[in-house]
Amino acid sequence: MTTEKTAEIAASLHRLERAVLPHISKLSSVEDVVVAARMQEVEVLRALQWLQNKGLAKLTEKIEEIIRLGENGKNYAKSLLPEARFLNSIANKPQALAEIKKAANLSDEEMGASIGALMRIKAIEPVAAAAEKTFKITESGRQIAKSGLRAQRFLSGQNFPVGINNLSGEEKNIVTELKKRKDVIKEDVVKKRTAFLTELGKEVLKKAASAAETVDRLTPEMLITGRWKEAAFRSYDLTAPVPRVFFGKLQPYREFLEEVREKFVSMGFEEMTGPIVESEFWNMDALFMPQFHSARDIHDVYYVKEPKYATDLPRQLVKKVKAAHENGFGTGSKGWRYEFSEEKTARLIMRSQTTACSSRKLASTDLKIPGKYFAIGRCFRYDVIDTKHLADFNQVEGIVVEENLSLRHLIGLLKLFAKEFCNTDKVKVVPSYFPFTEPSASLYAKHPELGWMELGGAGIFRPEMVKPLVGSHMQIGRSPIQHRQQPMRIDPRSIAHSASSGIVPVIAWGIGIDRVAMFKLGLNDIRELFSHDLNFLRNAKVV
Amino acid sequence: MPTITFSFKDFQQLLGKKLTVPEFEDLLVLYAKAEVEKYDKASDEVTLKLDDTNLPYLWCPEGLARFFRGMLGISKGMQKFKAKSSGYKVTVEDSVKAVRPFITAFVAKGRKIDDYLLKQLIQIQEKFCESYGRRRQKTSIGLYAYGKISFPVHYRAVEPSSAKFVPLGFDHPMDLNQVLKMHPKGQQYAWILKGASKYPLLQDNKGEILSFPPIINSSTTGRLKTGDSELLFEATGTDEESVSLAASIFAHNLAERGFEIFSATISYKAKSETTPSGKTLKISITPEFIEKVTGLKLSAAEARQLLAKAGYECAGNQAIVPDYRADIMHSVDVAEDVAIAFGYDNIKDEPLKSYTIGMPLAAVQKVNNLRKAVVAMGFQEIFSHILTDKSSLIGSAEIIELENYMSETYSAVRNSLLPQLLDVLSRNKHTDYPQKVFEEGTVSARNGSKIMEWHSLALVSAHSKADFTEQKQHLSAILGSLGAQFAIKPTEHAAFIKGRAGSIIVDNETIGVIGEISPAVLSKFGIEMPATALELNLNLLFQQ
Repeated sequence: MTTEKTAEIAASLHRLERAVLPHISKLSSVEDVVVAARMQEVEVLRALQWLQNKGLAKLTEKIEEIIRLGENGKNYAKSLLPEARFLNSIANKPQALAEIKKAANLSDEEMGASIGALMRIKAIEPVAAAAEKTFKITESGRQIAKSGLRAQRFLSGQNFPVGINNLSGEEKNIVTELKKRKDVIKEDVVKKRTAFLTELGKEVLKKAASAAETVDRLTPEMLITGRWKEAAFRSYDLTAPVPRVFFGKLQPYREFLEEVREKFVSMGFEEMTGPIVESEFWNMDALFMPQFHSARDIHDVYYVKEPKYATDLPRQLVKKVKAAHENGFGTGSKGWRYEFSEEKTARLIMRSQTTACSSRKLASTDLKIPGKYFAIGRCFRYDVIDTKHLADFNQVEGIVVEENLSLRHLIGLLKLFAKEFCNTDKVKVVPSYFPFTEPSASLYAKHPELGWMELGGAGIFRPEMVKPLVGSHMQIGRSPIQHRQQPMRIDPRSIAHSASSGIVPVIAWGIGIDRVAMFKLGLNDIRELFSHDLNFLRNAKVV
Repeated sequence: MPTITFSFKDFQQLLGKKLTVPEFEDLLVLYAKAEVEKYDKASDEVTLKLDDTNLPYLWCPEGLARFFRGMLGISKGMQKFKAKSSGYKVTVEDSVKAVRPFITAFVAKGRKIDDYLLKQLIQIQEKFCESYGRRRQKTSIGLYAYGKISFPVHYRAVEPSSAKFVPLGFDHPMDLNQVLKMHPKGQQYAWILKGASKYPLLQDNKGEILSFPPIINSSTTGRLKTGDSELLFEATGTDEESVSLAASIFAHNLAERGFEIFSATISYKAKSETTPSGKTLKISITPEFIEKVTGLKLSAAEARQLLAKAGYECAGNQAIVPDYRADIMHSVDVAEDVAIAFGYDNIKDEPLKSYTIGMPLAAVQKVNNLRKAVVAMGFQEIFSHILTDKSSLIGSAEIIELENYMSETYSAVRNSLLPQLLDVLSRNKHTDYPQKVFEEGTVSARNGSKIMEWHSLALVSAHSKADFTEQKQHLSAILGSLGAQFAIKPTEHAAFIKGRAGSIIVDNETIGVIGEISPAVLSKFGIEMPATALELNLNLLFQQ
């Protein structure tokens, strides 16, 4: 190593390194360095780490087991082990058990243990002729009493805490024995760090001692006074690791939904919305789903505990929807032919489908014809949560309201979605069933990576659904649509279609956006869309 | 969505054409709103899942084969059977009006019932009653060995304690109350008869009890067995159309299996009718209407041809709907059948032509600007469920709880975003600090019978030096970016340390809270790091 090189290293030393360096040349234990350098342990360790990176010091870490005394151990060290006290009490003459117990101040348990221990090393023996059970000390017992029991010598003689590696083999055996007793010996595992200077370190130390003082930080004061001109700036170790910083991030799934929103806006769709606590009226009845429909079961929908009923339903509209369910409301339909309950229709539930937004929009006075609408909304289903099902999740769906729409436009729209969301022309449009659309279709698209997937469903809203809703709108005279009132059906077994000719067609569609989202975000478990795992969110790729 | 299982070979025989399973799968998707869930090669059993809830005739191999015979051109037009008239009679007493007014019946003879057929009969019976028959309330079906019954059969409602019989699965007689209490089927379906003072009963002319509809058959006469070749069918219910549909579907199925069908005369007090009725619905349909709905330009002849494929018969501008279908309510339903028969994949798509202006909801832009501003202050965005654990929410009177929640974790609607942000902290105790998280989203609460819903924005900051000052800096930055002047008024709030909680006031209106989270709340969430929070009602803020 050249002198220039060592000088260069010396000049680049950090304030902390500079402070630690002289101490390591004398001391090896990090603890000692901390004390001597009057620094915090983390500072010393950081400096040592840097010095080691530069090859100036060597830091070693040893895991060591340390022995210290427990509560009983401390007592025994001071006022002797029970068996030692036992032995001492009969040192002069044999004694009966009761006497020993009293003299040595032992519990029954300690008496038993002491007798066992002392008999094993043949330090005592019973006196056969005595009336009461009596023990006397043996010859070897006398020797032991004189020199002290091995365990007693260890307890009283050691300077605790002590490293287990500093003990002799015999002492280690004693420790093993004593560990069997309650609360005598405690073990701790500690890290013992030592450091020493390398040859290079020693040279740099010499240089550092003689080097001129360097400047750590440029200060405003130096700039104002011009003192910076004389300053020598310490060089940094530019390769040293730094603490991580976490920048703020938008949630990836939510961002994905924002992209979806932008997509629909760019396709000419206007966003619509509705409340999450919804009445059965808007959620189902207005959609011409009969009140006995299986998807309206208590096992499919969440019911609100309190309040139970909506108080703001449009009365006139409820009457029309009721008529549609019961007899078709003059659309030429048979209707569902059951007694519609106005109580049930007001029942509050958690919105189970964003189609509730569509029914509200169709009935609203600001409905535009032609109009395209979409909603991104939270929906709630009574489902067991697993990798594919959530209690609440997002749906994306909407409507197109326009004269002269037919199934052909619906298929065209589905193909457009396949292009937008799966970037594919490979689609299959097949018949499907939804209670509120006729005809109905499902869209399968061949995703470039996922293969064939069901991307969405669509249909043309049934006339029985549209007429009561849009009809209410037309009465206010905002619609360009001609609405012809038809006579109610006469023959219950004969249906006339002409009644529906005045009803504006509404294409309704929904897209299974979650699968696309999961693919885009690289997830296999739908629950991760709403993850509360910060590491996952902080490290999620920004899509 | 019913699921059914049947032998694929049986299906092909009924169809009259050989198919491979993949060919069958394609046909199902293309025409029948159904898919193969599994096919077991060893047993040749195929399991289907059907999308429709209103086409029960397709929930059996006979109906599916009938449908595809039409679609594939194997047979044309409406498929019929001839019911022979006979002297079989069912008398209906007025007493059933109040509880279960309608019944249909017929007798089928002429083929030995084997294990497989018996299984198929039971399968369609169960699917029909449970799903379409709304768990037997609307309709329930009974099948009996014909030989043991002496006609006419009587359908009446009786005092529950006045009739005793041995129900299937038991070996001692019970009265009707006992059946409801003790028999498993009684316990399962007792709700249907709740409130009725008399219960329905089917008896033959000798007084022998056939069944206690819709609960259970008698073990003496009410059991159809392998080897029987003559059976009595009956369906009772509260919906006339539905019991009639059940008879039609079973009669078609059995006729196609080689049985002769003998109709029964149902004799009500005021009227008398024959079942299966064979009655069909007429519905008007024109090429113009088909074009309006489907966009297909068809000649009258082409339309008739497609209707025939779909099983309809035509009479002028009217389509006659086969008697095994009750799903047709409106001409649009027929138009869809025409489109399906035409083949969706043969329909040329057409783009929308109208010009409309797209736009997001009014608040979207503002909300997104705020989200980005908070992110710029170093916050990680969180997106949580709206349903949450009600015990994590503060303010019991205003919480919207669910009546039928499945798990406590999702038992109420959140009225604040803070609990979920604290949940984030509690789940990430071993993740690097500082932890700064925020969420913007819908919350909802009630005020008596009124339900309120608003956008909320909440920020939580957790690290060893988190304090009120830092959080107030965030608040000033957010409100400052909107040009809003604010004041903070000391308040008491269960989530915050006393003396370190404030109401955020803009234009004399409280629009949020800010403070240091109380150690009691932190320890409830198991959080071992100081944290501060603020939450704003964006609806109120944006109003300003």
